[in-house]
Amino acid sequence: MLSIFHLPEFWKALLSSLIALLTLAGIMIRPFRWNEARTAMSGAALLLFLGLISPRDALFTLLRDWNTFFFFLGMMALSAFAETACLFDWLGVQAARLAGESAARLFLNVFLLGTFISMLFSNDATALILTPIVYVLVTKLRLPALPYLFACTFIADSASFLLPISNPINIIILSHHPLNLPAFLRLLLLPSVVVIAINVGVFFFLYRRQLEGSFDVARLSSPQAAIKHKAYFRYTCCVLALIAPAYLAAAAGRFPLSAVAMAGATLLLAGAFYWRRTTLRQAGRGISWSIFGFIAGMFIVVRAVERTGLTTKFGNLLLHLSRGSSFGAVMVGTAGAALGTNLINNVPMAVVMNSALVSIQNASPGVRQGFIAATMFGCDLGPNLTTVGSLATVLWLLILRHRNVDVSGLDYFKVGIVVTPLMLFAGALTMWLLL
Amino acid sequence: MRVLCCLDGTNAARIGTALRMFAAVQPLTVGMLHVTDTRPREDIDLIRERFGRHPLHPHRAPGPPPEHLPRPSPREEEIYEAEKASAEEILKESRGYCAGAATITREGRPELEIVNLAAEWSADLVILCSRAAYQSRDKIGPKSVGHVARFVVDHAPCPVLLLRPTARDHFPIGR
Repeated sequence: MLSIFHLPEFWKALLSSLIALLTLAGIMIRPFRWNEARTAMSGAALLLFLGLISPRDALFTLLRDWNTFFFFLGMMALSAFAETACLFDWLGVQAARLAGESAARLFLNVFLLGTFISMLFSNDATALILTPIVYVLVTKLRLPALPYLFACTFIADSASFLLPISNPINIIILSHHPLNLPAFLRLLLLPSVVVIAINVGVFFFLYRRQLEGSFDVARLSSPQAAIKHKAYFRYTCCVLALIAPAYLAAAAGRFPLSAVAMAGATLLLAGAFYWRRTTLRQAGRGISWSIFGFIAGMFIVVRAVERTGLTTKFGNLLLHLSRGSSFGAVMVGTAGAALGTNLINNVPMAVVMNSALVSIQNASPGVRQGFIAATMFGCDLGPNLTTVGSLATVLWLLILRHRNVDVSGLDYFKVGIVVTPLMLFAGALTMWLLL
Repeated sequence: MRVLCCLDGTNAARIGTALRMFAAVQPLTVGMLHVTDTRPREDIDLIRERFGRHPLHPHRAPGPPPEHLPRPSPREEEIYEAEKASAEEILKESRGYCAGAATITREGRPELEIVNLAAEWSADLVILCSRAAYQSRDKIGPKSVGHVARFVVDHAPCPVLLLRPTARDHFPIGR
């Protein structure tokens, strides 16, 4: 290990920063088709091997964030089991039935359903599970698919700061910079409503021509037909009805949210085993295990940079840019987090901001709360700017376009680039008024 | 005369009326075409993966899709089935308006599939509507011809019959 050579501190700092930068660049560009987890873990392993962070420090960094790891696990398991119980399929059919054969009301119902699912199951359940379900639904109803798909994908992030559990990014930030539930709701509930209203309003305007028609609800199967196993479905609904208030109570009482998510997931797993709806292998497949490697790698890499003082400097820079005012804090926090999220993805940006925000501990309470809320807001809503995905995907799309290969997907980009800045600005402005 | 009719799920009755007019004059060989637009499915495929997960391919590596596509996920299969069932239903419905018609299904960009099939099938006439009638009210004026109809009118290898809504109440046009 390099530590035996006793490098001067300056070189250590330089080397740590270089490795961190390379890791972030790797996550952006994804060389050799490496996924994010492999890149982040390689960065962390290199830092450990070169002695730039001690194994003890790395271990403590990871143990400190146990709440985040368990929340990710519980949240993914909850949505996977709810999917097994066909809850989302059932909700989709109900949304269509309640629309009274009007395409526009179905559009509104998709937004409301997306908001509800994001709020309770977190944003990825809406974007990843609800979107294909809604596509199947509108195909059966012979409605134009694109407006509904875009509605699902965008509302996933637009509704992801209603509650701390609506996005795992909130948990990453709140574990280091706690805001109590009343403060969270005071600062983020109204901006959420404003952002959702803008999202719905702009989409209704953009797709007004395609939403004028009606559909024949007889083309749809009954809600009962969507459920594969009635008892497990009912059991899942009961467990979720318990989990929702438990989440709120835990957030209000500063009880770890991961415990609630894990308890809910365990109950659903037990039910799934009892009614033989899943096997251990299938249940494991519903969870993205690589995310744990990714977060762990990122925590270690950013911890190593934190020791060099670089993230503190970044935090001071943000504080300087905000000029110590709460308006500046909200605007700089939102813009910085949103830009960073689109550049290096939301999980790394949240971890970097966590570390940077340490330097604002001594600022006035208004500025401090402004920065914390704005960071969550920017990291949560920012991904809507490039819904097609990471920078790598955007580059790949542009290359294909350049070669005259017909690709879609740039539609997402066009809509995102129009709507997201508007939502970010209006949301940040509302947040400042509430500070 | 070989007539290729383009169905969009909303226009079977209107195409049926047009066919009756032609059938009175000369015998027709009718092909009913339904194209499943693959663009929305491709769009779902491009949704940002979240926390390492993707809506259709939970375990696919990032970047361009691999040459050998993996077995479709259950959700993907559900999507294929819904698309197939919807296409079959639309074609079945169209047979009610023209009993002896041949039915053809295609997948891809509707505008391209229509003109390519018109050439391949040696169509003498392509019949299509100016846009899918999602609206309850028919509109005339700018943008009343959708992008698919526009492309077909521009690129078809044979005459095209563009079925427009009957909207005499909008007249006279002031300008």
